[in-house]
Amino acid sequence: MRSITALRMLLYDRATTAGSVLGVVAIIFLVGQQLSILFGLLNFMSVLVDHMPADVWICTVNTENVNSGGALPMRYLDRVRGVDAVEWAEPLVRTGGLYSLDDGRFTGLQVVGLSRPDLVGGPWRFHQGSIDALLDFDAVTADRMDLDVLGYPEIGSVSEVNRVRVRIGAITQSIRGFEGTLVFTNIDKAREIGNVGADQCSNILVKLTSEADPADAVRIIERVLPNTAVFRSSELSSSTRSYYLTNTGIGGSIGFSTIIGTLVGIVIITLTMYTTVLNRQKDFAVLRALGARRKDIAITILFQGLIIAGVGSVIGFFLLAVFLYGTMDSSLPTYMPLWLPPIHAGFTVLLCLLASVLSMRRATRVEPATAFR
Amino acid sequence: MVEEVVRLELVTRDFYDGKQLRTVLKKTDLGIIPGELTVLAGPSGSGKTTLLTIIGLVLKPTTGRLFIGGDEVTDKSEDERACIRLRDFGFVFQQAALVPALSITENLLVSQAIQGDRVTRELREQAHRLLSELGLSEHGDSKPQQLSTGQQQRVGIARALIGDPMILLCDEPTSALDVESSRIVLDALKTISGEGSRAVVLVSHDPRVFPYADRLIKIEDGSIINDTRHPGEGVQDEESY
Repeated sequence: MRSITALRMLLYDRATTAGSVLGVVAIIFLVGQQLSILFGLLNFMSVLVDHMPADVWICTVNTENVNSGGALPMRYLDRVRGVDAVEWAEPLVRTGGLYSLDDGRFTGLQVVGLSRPDLVGGPWRFHQGSIDALLDFDAVTADRMDLDVLGYPEIGSVSEVNRVRVRIGAITQSIRGFEGTLVFTNIDKAREIGNVGADQCSNILVKLTSEADPADAVRIIERVLPNTAVFRSSELSSSTRSYYLTNTGIGGSIGFSTIIGTLVGIVIITLTMYTTVLNRQKDFAVLRALGARRKDIAITILFQGLIIAGVGSVIGFFLLAVFLYGTMDSSLPTYMPLWLPPIHAGFTVLLCLLASVLSMRRATRVEPATAFR
Repeated sequence: MVEEVVRLELVTRDFYDGKQLRTVLKKTDLGIIPGELTVLAGPSGSGKTTLLTIIGLVLKPTTGRLFIGGDEVTDKSEDERACIRLRDFGFVFQQAALVPALSITENLLVSQAIQGDRVTRELREQAHRLLSELGLSEHGDSKPQQLSTGQQQRVGIARALIGDPMILLCDEPTSALDVESSRIVLDALKTISGEGSRAVVLVSHDPRVFPYADRLIKIEDGSIINDTRHPGEGVQDEESY
């Protein structure tokens, strides 16, 4: 009956209940979309590391993120391939480039060169064409999301990157890097574009044998290549993400707006629930006089908090789902890991219950004797 | 000798009004027996509602002892007093004081199920029976604000009776009612007290109430100044008040 009383009181005070629900929707949606943008950006930051099939990345010494670093000598490749724990090792060349548009302008992009013929670490989602297109010396990919930036090139169309002839061989689907448009090509074309010598590469990707202990393998590779930075893929991914979060202000900015969204929601919920209790003081006094204990009143308010949290969460997550669906293939980076919604919902319910504490204190302090005044 | 359902011994009650301590109920001895409609009468501020709320375990006495059904309850905790109120008392308030968010039936049920108990079929049937007895059977699903003041007060009486309490405490139940509604409400209370097993205590300064009183207790300035019994016949002479 306490839950029914709680529900009926909420339905009776529709305006204030709507305000409280709005507070929950604000928390779920505003915080959710901020976090989804954060996770979308995180994915962009470490997109290469996360999608390449390597267990270990070898970078130049003092590398903090995958998008930085200098050149490694190609002779290191043979040294690494000589390590027992290594199943295969392939070089990767990354370089910046300027794509020439038909109207004479240029647009910056990141070129990733893959070793032929295996093209290990190549694009993983295609809108048109396939990875085999990159076996062609001039072929590069363009992403569907970047077609407008690149002047809507079609497969087979020819342009230039850094004044080097390239031909669009395939269109990838939603593959972007944090530092801009990602263009994949073969390693030889990448060297030509970036003017990188044949004896150099940016990284060496290493796949370990299934029996190898990754930590031991990293230590061995570090001994074999003393002037390099050797990362397990997960380490380089998190190191890259930390680097951008702390050095670009993105973490602070999104964290701040997340906190603001949360605070706005809490304030709305607290004030509206408190207003409801103020309006219903006489009812609580009557219930207390009839035999309700303080804890019965507290439980009633708690139920109200839970109902508001439940309804607000459903609406908030629906709006969030619409937002995520609407931005799925857009240039706005959004991503919601599956583990996040339950935590977000639980956290919001907790906030809602915290917000109801003030109302609870007010309602439980109502003296039953006031029912007689 | 009928056993008292409520016994007050040397009960006082002080209030601090922000400036000074005021004794609103002076040393009071009082026993309430079942089967009587007891009227507590007196001018505003005389202490009659304070006495009623002490009897109903809503307020704690400052000094003195209080017994319910022979058991001392003076020092019971707040939660224990709430449980006793729920079990042994029914309350009828000045203006019905129904919860507007709940339907009429739910207003009756909530008084018994507010401590989290399940609403049983028996309880629901009892609610319907009480509403029927008070001529409100067709209003079970209505909201309080859809009923007249007199009907609301009858719902208040039904709510007070649903737990089959030992003692019914009524705080000026006719003050907001017209003559006809007052008569219906007072007839109902008289019938309830006449059933013999239940005590009805009614606070009022409405002279229309006195003819229904089996016992009239006059209070002035926090003290009982007169306590007379008129079993069955009521107080017919207003002058005696």
